[in-house]
Amino acid sequence: MTEPSRGARPRLLLVDDEEGILSALRRTLRREGYSIRTARNAAEGLAALEEEAADLVLSDHMMPGMTGLDFLSEVKRRRPQAICFLISGWSQAVTRGELEKAGIGGLIPKPWDDGQLKETLRSVLPGSPS
Amino acid sequence: MRGVLRVESSFQPVRVVLVEAGLSGRRSEAAETLEQLGPGTRVDRVTDAASCRARVSTVPVDLVVLENTPAARDPSFLRQLSALGPPVIVVLHEAVAGDSLDAIRAGATECVEPGPDLDSRLTALALDQVRQGRRHREHEEAERRIVELEDYTENIVQHMNSALIVVDDSGRITEANPPAEEVLGAEPGTLAGRSFEDWFVPEEDEATLISRTLEEGHRFKGAETTIRRSDGRRVPVGISCAPMKDRRGRNTQAVVLFQDLTEVKQLELQMLQSEKMASIGQLAAGVAHEINNPTGFIHANLHQMNEYLADLRRTWKVTSELQAQVARGDLGEAQRVSTQLSQLAEELDVDFVYGDFAKAVRESQEGSERIRHIVQDLRDFSYRDTGERVEADVNQCLDSTANIVWPMMKHSVALAREYDELPRLRCYPMQLKQVFMNLLVNAYQAIEGRREAESLTEPGEIRISTEAQADGIGVEIRDTGSGIASEDLGRIFDPFFTTKEVGVGTGLGLSTSYSIIERHGGRIRVESEVGVGTSFQLWLPTRVPTPEPADD
Repeated sequence: MTEPSRGARPRLLLVDDEEGILSALRRTLRREGYSIRTARNAAEGLAALEEEAADLVLSDHMMPGMTGLDFLSEVKRRRPQAICFLISGWSQAVTRGELEKAGIGGLIPKPWDDGQLKETLRSVLPGSPS
Repeated sequence: MRGVLRVESSFQPVRVVLVEAGLSGRRSEAAETLEQLGPGTRVDRVTDAASCRARVSTVPVDLVVLENTPAARDPSFLRQLSALGPPVIVVLHEAVAGDSLDAIRAGATECVEPGPDLDSRLTALALDQVRQGRRHREHEEAERRIVELEDYTENIVQHMNSALIVVDDSGRITEANPPAEEVLGAEPGTLAGRSFEDWFVPEEDEATLISRTLEEGHRFKGAETTIRRSDGRRVPVGISCAPMKDRRGRNTQAVVLFQDLTEVKQLELQMLQSEKMASIGQLAAGVAHEINNPTGFIHANLHQMNEYLADLRRTWKVTSELQAQVARGDLGEAQRVSTQLSQLAEELDVDFVYGDFAKAVRESQEGSERIRHIVQDLRDFSYRDTGERVEADVNQCLDSTANIVWPMMKHSVALAREYDELPRLRCYPMQLKQVFMNLLVNAYQAIEGRREAESLTEPGEIRISTEAQADGIGVEIRDTGSGIASEDLGRIFDPFFTTKEVGVGTGLGLSTSYSIIERHGGRIRVESEVGVGTSFQLWLPTRVPTPEPADD
C-alpha cells in the first residue's frame, strides 16, 4: 500500500450495484486523469482494496448485502487516510451524524451534477493532474 | 214469550230512543217492554222528532221506536233517521189499513201492528232489529277496515324507499312502486304486465334469483346482482326475494325488494382506492430509488454525449478542411492538415469516443426503458376497478404487483415464484393486486424487521406460489420474516389493527384484503410462527359464487 506521490494519478474506486451508474461515472471522470476501478458491491469493493489501495472511494448506499455506509466505515477502519464519499438518491437514508461518525467526507446526491462532482473530487484529492 | 227471547250473556246493553205520544207522565207500555230487552238496556224517552234526531246523531243508538206520533208519519224525518243508521220500528196503536205500508215506504224498518201480544211482538222485532243493526254495523266496519288496510298497504308500497315488484308465476310483473320504476328506468305505470327478465337478466346460464324464488320457492336476503335498465345501463342492486304462497300453499308469486347500489359501490371503490393509494405511499422510497438511478446515469450520459459530440465536430471540421485541400489539388497543404487530423484523433481518442458514445446511447436507452416500465406498472396499479368482474390471469396480477414492490425490497429479499398453469379467473383484478401488494409489503416489512432485530446480512425470502385446484385457484405468499405473535393472529384482519409503527401502516391493509377476498367468494388464512415466518394462503373459486338461499 503506497501513498500517491505528487504527479501520480489518484486512484479511485467506484462501488455501485448499478452498471449504468458505474459506466456514467467513468464517463464523467474520464478526462480528470484518475485511475478508476469499479466494484458491484461491498464485498467486491473490499477485495479490490485488498489488491490495491485507493485514494478515494465513492460508494452507493443501497446495495445488496452490506450498505454503503457500513462498507465505507469498514474502508475507513482499514485505511483511515482513504477519502470516502457516499452517493445516494435518497438523502434521508443516512443522517449527517452517521456520516460524520463513519468519517465520510460527504453525501453526493443522485442524480449528480457533473461539474459539481468533478469540483468536489478535485478539491479533496491532492496533486490533481494538470 | 219474553222468557224465550233470552239474550246472550255477551249481549251488549241496548240503547233505544223511544218517541212517545205526548207527555202523559205515565210510562207507555212500549217503554216498559223495551226496558226489558236485556240487562242494562237504556230507553231514552222523547216526545218529538227534533229531540230524537239530536239523540241519534250524538250517541250510538241501537234502535229507534216511534209510537203513533206525528213524527211517525213524517216521511222526511223517517228518511233522516234511516240515513243516520239505526233501525226504526213504528208502533201502530190503531189498525188503519195501509198505515204500516206507509210507514215502511217512508223509511221505517219495521211496523208493529196493534193487536194481542203487542209487547212480545215488539220485543221480538226490537231484538231482531238490534241484532241485525249491529251485524250490519260490524259488516260496515269490517269493510271500512279492509279498505283502510288496502289503502295502508298500498301506501306503504307506494311510499317506501325500496323498490318493490311482485312477479307472478308466468314472470309478469303484477305490482310495482315508483322507486322500482326509477331503479329500472321505466316510465311511471309501465311496469305492470311486462316480464321481469327485461331488466333482471340471467348471467351466464345462471337463473336469476327471482326465477329460483318462483320455481323453487327459495328466499334470498341481501343478495347482490346487476340489472339492465331500460336505457341499457347496467346497475348493481341489492335484492331480496320471497315466495308468496296462495291459499293452497303453492308458490304463485315472488315479492322482490331491491335497491340501487351504485352509490354504495362507488363509495366502496373510493374506500378501496384510498387504501391502495395509502399503501402506494409505502412504496414511494423504493420507486423513487428505482427511477432515480437510471435518471442519474442518463443525466450524466447526456452531458458526456454533448462533449463527445463537440469532439466529433472538431475532427469533422478538420476532415472537411482536408477534403477541400485535396479537391483544390494542394497536396502540400493536404499533407499538413492530414497530420493535424491524426494528432487531433489521438488527442481526443476518437476511436474510444465513437465506441463509448454508442455505449452511452445504449445504456441510456435501457435506463429510460426501465423508468418507463416502473411508471407504467405504478400507473397500472393505481387504476380504479370498474366494479365489474373481468377475466384475468392471476399469475400476471401477481407478477405486475411484485414488479412494483420489488425495487423496495430487492436489497433485502430474494423473491421466488412458483407459478402453476392457471385458468383465467372472472374477478376484480385491481382489487386482487391490492391484496397481493398488501401481503407482499407485509412480508417485506416482516423480513426487514427480523433482519434488523437479528442483525442478519443474508437476504430473507418471499415465495409466491400458485396452484390450479379442482374448484378454484390457490395462492400462497410465504416469507421468512419475524412472524406474527399468536396473541395477534386472531386480530390481524380487524380494521385498524396494526403492530407497525405510527405512519408505517394504515391498519387497513389486511382487513381490506379480507373483504376483497370475501367479495370474490374466496377464503384467506394465515399460518405464522415467530422467528420462522408467515404464510398467507388464498383460495379463489373459479365459478362466480351465486347467492345462497336464506331459507329458514
